[in-house]
Amino acid sequence: MNQHIDPGTLRADDGIERGGMLLHVDNISLSFGGVKAITDVSFDVKKGEIRAIIGPNGAGKTSMLNVINGFYHPQEGTITFRGEKRRRMRPHRAASQGIARTFQNIALFKGMTTLDNIMTGRMTLMKSSMLSQAMWWGPAHREEIAHRETVEKIIDFLEIEHIRKTPVGRLPYGLQKRVELGRALAADPALLLLDEPMAGMNLEEKEDMSRFVLDVNQQFGTTIALIEHDMGVVMDLSDRVVVLDYGRKIGDGTPDEVRNNQAVIDAYLGVSHE
Amino acid sequence: MLYRETGDFKSSYATDQQTFPIRSERYLFWGAMVIAFLVVPFFINDYWEKSVLVPLLVWSMAALGLNILTGYCGQVSLGTGGFMAVGAYACYKLMTAFPDLNIFFVVILSGGVTAFVGMLFGLPSLRIKGFYLAVATLAAQFFLVWLFNKVPWFYNYSASGQITAPERTIFGIAVTGASAPPWATYLFCLTLVFLFAWMARNLTRGTLGRSWMAIRDMDIAAEIIGVQPLKAKISAFAVSSFYIGVAGALYFSVWLGAVEPTEAFGINVSFLVLFMVIIGGLGSILGSFLGAAFLTLMPVLLKNVMVGGLGWPTDLAAHFEIMLVGGLIVFFLIVEPHGLAQLWRLVKEKLRLWPFPY
Repeated sequence: MNQHIDPGTLRADDGIERGGMLLHVDNISLSFGGVKAITDVSFDVKKGEIRAIIGPNGAGKTSMLNVINGFYHPQEGTITFRGEKRRRMRPHRAASQGIARTFQNIALFKGMTTLDNIMTGRMTLMKSSMLSQAMWWGPAHREEIAHRETVEKIIDFLEIEHIRKTPVGRLPYGLQKRVELGRALAADPALLLLDEPMAGMNLEEKEDMSRFVLDVNQQFGTTIALIEHDMGVVMDLSDRVVVLDYGRKIGDGTPDEVRNNQAVIDAYLGVSHE
Repeated sequence: MLYRETGDFKSSYATDQQTFPIRSERYLFWGAMVIAFLVVPFFINDYWEKSVLVPLLVWSMAALGLNILTGYCGQVSLGTGGFMAVGAYACYKLMTAFPDLNIFFVVILSGGVTAFVGMLFGLPSLRIKGFYLAVATLAAQFFLVWLFNKVPWFYNYSASGQITAPERTIFGIAVTGASAPPWATYLFCLTLVFLFAWMARNLTRGTLGRSWMAIRDMDIAAEIIGVQPLKAKISAFAVSSFYIGVAGALYFSVWLGAVEPTEAFGINVSFLVLFMVIIGGLGSILGSFLGAAFLTLMPVLLKNVMVGGLGWPTDLAAHFEIMLVGGLIVFFLIVEPHGLAQLWRLVKEKLRLWPFPY
């Protein structure tokens, strides 16, 4: 078991160096019936970076994340994750390959405690059989305690010790977001997808969350792809930004490049059609 | 004062994870167990055995099973009666086919057979949810009871269509059949229920239990963080049916001794167990016991009060009892929709501060 809080260690050990290609999205097209959600989008995520995906409402950002973690199956294009190319896969396969995510509308398990929610994040790493779990004492118990230690470190890191045993349904929104980040971190992800981690938060909560995102990236070396609407946050946090509009990629580059890109400015501010 | 956490420090994760984290709670539990195992067998008589304690244990076992499926995994089932019938008939066939096999193993194997049948009928849960799944399990209920009525092989071609449990012994003491002493049948059921309740608790606090609860609370998120829906749902059906099968086997062999499928395993049994789980508390081991106790003991108590205490005619008392129990169910559901287990949890929260609440 890894004893330090290092969600990067177990899965990041894949021979890809920092700055190497972790995820490559090639010519993805996704449509639902007649609605084209994503059209021919390609971009990459390098190991160790914070990659932002931005765009106006309905641009296809969340659909893109859903494609990456196997929830939607694109009609065209391929995804290469850690050198392995794939077309179709079930979400739990993506999870066991090291892709974890949080959701735009919190998707915590409301009836379970904070601790149990984060422990569930380690699902793919826990191997004891049903019979040994029924017996409890022995391998299942040892495994439970070993993982509990890692989970407790994540709880310390996110400063949520006081709500460890509280059912998450009772927690305020900001804390729920934090627990959800904890659950994703617990999976030791090689790639962490954050879908609007700061949505609906006040300034102070946003600052906290930004700090956690940066710490996760810098201390653990976890690669992060995030969707966010708060431009201040995006420009400050991310190393590179990809901009989508109506399912097409209209910009890609460092925050400064994107900020000065005419197509991006048009998409956000609108452009007069004379 | 009696019940408090203060001063009860935990210094390892093992002690933090125990079932009863508070000392007085542990004493209460083990005290109750000592009474149940060492005191009650000396005082038990035929009436207490057949109308109170064995029914309580059998229904607790069934409620535990359904609670795993419905309370923990969120899959509604109306097939409990049918699965109990599978347990009972498996038990009967095994008892008659292998007369030398110890009844303990017969009961466990009956559970295994039911687990397999439960998995088959659980397959639709991969595609359908909620009320629609309830209707699909209703099909199991009617199909299985029909099957045991129609195929003579299941009741060994007996003329009456009934199945009757032959006498079987453990350590030379009969636990099934007409001459089994009350204390022996009681202890047999109690041991099984104790063992399986403990295992249910272990399963629900471990990885498997968390995967069930994740599916119950938000199945899409569960799948995305790595829970396999197929594995979680089918294992819930298997474990749940195992418990219900064991309950069915005990119901037939130890409690009733002889059963006729339409009457003993009808749809009303499915509803009874579902009500136990709902009234007791979904997703709670204690709740399964409280619900079973409420619905088996309350009618006995009311009957004793009305017939024995007030001297009413039996038929009037019987009708009045149904009305009262129904009324009480409504009352409890309004007072505490999350069941008796939640009520107990609230009492505990109050007790923590007693006698100085702020």
